[in-house]
Amino acid sequence: MLTGSGTSMDAPAFISSMDAGRVLARRERRFASALLAPAFAALLATTTFPLLYLIWTSAFRIDLAMPFTNGFIGIDNYRDLLADSRFWSSLSVSMIYTISTVVLQVAIGLGLALFVMGMKKGQGLFRLIAILPVVLSPAVVGMVWRTFMLQPEFGIVDFLSINAGLGSQNWLGDPTLAMISVIVIHTWQWTPFAFMVLLASLAALPDDIYEAARIDRASAWQRFRRITLPLLRPAIVMVVIMRTMVALTAFAAIFTVTGGGPGTATEILNLYAYRKSFTELSIGYGSALAVALLVVTIIISAALFAVRRAK
Amino acid sequence: MVFRSTRRTFLKGSVGASAMLLGAPAFLRGAAAQNNDLSPYTSAKIDWKQASGESITVAVIPASYFDNLISIAPQFQELTGINVRFEKIPPAQIRQKCVIDLTSKTGTYATHAADPMYYALYAANKWAEPLDRYLNDASLTDKAWFNFDDIIPAWRGADSVDGKLYGIPYDGEVTIQVYRKDLYEAKGLKPADNLEAFVANAAALNDPGNRIWGAALRGVAGAGQNMYIYPSIFREFGGEWFKGGKLTVNGPEAEAALTWYVDLMRKYAPAAAQNWNWPDIADAFSQGTIGAYIDAHSSASVVNNADKSKVIGKVAYARWPKGPSGKRMTSIWNWGFPINAALPDKRKKATWLFIQWAASAETQARTSYKFAGPAKRSGVNRTSVWKDPAYIKLMSSFGDNFVEAAMDSLQHDTDVDWRPRVPQWPAIGDTMATAIQSALAGQATVKTALDDAQKRIEPMMKG
Repeated sequence: MLTGSGTSMDAPAFISSMDAGRVLARRERRFASALLAPAFAALLATTTFPLLYLIWTSAFRIDLAMPFTNGFIGIDNYRDLLADSRFWSSLSVSMIYTISTVVLQVAIGLGLALFVMGMKKGQGLFRLIAILPVVLSPAVVGMVWRTFMLQPEFGIVDFLSINAGLGSQNWLGDPTLAMISVIVIHTWQWTPFAFMVLLASLAALPDDIYEAARIDRASAWQRFRRITLPLLRPAIVMVVIMRTMVALTAFAAIFTVTGGGPGTATEILNLYAYRKSFTELSIGYGSALAVALLVVTIIISAALFAVRRAK
Repeated sequence: MVFRSTRRTFLKGSVGASAMLLGAPAFLRGAAAQNNDLSPYTSAKIDWKQASGESITVAVIPASYFDNLISIAPQFQELTGINVRFEKIPPAQIRQKCVIDLTSKTGTYATHAADPMYYALYAANKWAEPLDRYLNDASLTDKAWFNFDDIIPAWRGADSVDGKLYGIPYDGEVTIQVYRKDLYEAKGLKPADNLEAFVANAAALNDPGNRIWGAALRGVAGAGQNMYIYPSIFREFGGEWFKGGKLTVNGPEAEAALTWYVDLMRKYAPAAAQNWNWPDIADAFSQGTIGAYIDAHSSASVVNNADKSKVIGKVAYARWPKGPSGKRMTSIWNWGFPINAALPDKRKKATWLFIQWAASAETQARTSYKFAGPAKRSGVNRTSVWKDPAYIKLMSSFGDNFVEAAMDSLQHDTDVDWRPRVPQWPAIGDTMATAIQSALAGQATVKTALDDAQKRIEPMMKG
């Protein structure tokens, strides 16, 4: 670049205006790539390289408990994985967890958004209160639910349950209740996100269509079904995609509330990969599990993006 | 494990608090003894200054028994000229952090508070130095002064692999029965001599309507939680981890042991105990809602905490009940210090001098009954200290038969292989913990849970 600029300055007379333009454009491009390079390199080093290294690691047996068995084993980790019943059970736990939390978030979020849109007063306050759970760290949320809300005898939820005549329940000790509890916790924390996005989209919907519908005597349900939903569709799909990706890779809240228990009742795939790698010290197989989670996430997101583009 | 540190810190604090209340004269004597006199150390026939100028970093957990050591560490620096820096890491992370340091051979931690179940892993990877050669080197160790054989044999055994020593115990515990003397007397019960009697006692006391449950054991899943108590039951039922050289976790003895545990917990423990670790059990006991429990002797300071406990003066102790095999089998724990094999030679020597100092009888006394601060250790590593009248006086304030039960358990009820000591322990411990909890929660039957664990453990043991 230095020589280039030197030449052009030494002999300006020989350069036509077109050439000058091309040189300038080239210089501009070089300058732009020079500016981009550090960020690009940092991105490569912090995201792409670890990802490739993870995939590379998953082709090895790295078992700290038996270092003499370590070595390259190709796709054996993946073969083991397909035969590992705990992988499949953690994958299905992940699916149940993701589908139920996303459906609940969208349904409740939409309901709340419609409700708040109709409010004459107090919208701002409601929005402020609703946003609070989102700003909390999932680990903190987990601790709060585990100790204040779900503790048998002393927790708020259990207190309500006793007063409602349902009796004291072992919320985190029973496999089904534990699963319901972690789903409720995630929904409680993240519904406000869906609510805020849908509320913003609702506010942006054009009034004239509703006016026309009202003149045509469309019922409230018809207006919701035929106008609101189709117009909100892009926002809903976007919320579903974002929440699905987060739910699939959830970790902190479940880790602090149940640790995957009781037994393996709430052990999502992410948690299983963590336990294999860092508790059992079987790094190679743990990496294979993490890659499997990545693949599942990519497939599901791709499917959702396809849905978004369709129509 | 997450709660262990904070609770222990608090727990040891209360040891001191009760000691101050109950034994002011002893405390004053202790305070007078707290000095910088190095003569008890310089009487050892070694050159303490031989690694002068070295710097070492020691990873410990945030707990008062390590805080006491840290507070007298300037004496070590004065004695040896070695700079020692402490890093406190919560117990839930210390294993992972140290494994990462050891596996990357960076030598960040010259030594660390080690889980005894990890020595087999360290040995398999040659991450830690075999310590016999340090112990037998006359230039590094004055054997008569250090008196290694004085250290509790059960803990020494736990820190050895195939007869080779990898860690020196610093602080430890042993599990015993803790029961409500007053409730037992009112019903004419005796502390259980066998597991059947333990259940019968629990049944006699169990009265959930009046908020009294018969008994509680650790329910929460974890290699150091439910898999700390269950192995004792398994061994008392006649279980052996290695049948014909093969690690076996299922079979009739295992099923009987796990069934006993699940029945006791379901019938006579509060439902919430499924997620309890020892601090929760000790808390519930100190609120008067539990008739008896079996757990670490060090939990006695929680149930004797004058600020919170409603059962002070109503507590007594006994050894583990015998199992159907006629054996008593206690669960034991200790925090020991290994030497990181990735260190340069001179720093290894410096580290050994530190370990020798920390585990010596004098330092053990100075961090326990001679300690000037309020928190005095109850898990000292030496038989001689356990027999010291000043220490016994400090400990017997916890209730009837405390020192005797703990000491008898340490001497007679231990077996170094009460848990399977293999390099694969982290994986095996976690798998078993999950299996035990899934049986307790009813996610699987006892037999399926154990058979499934066996199926998962077999490939872990294969090369």
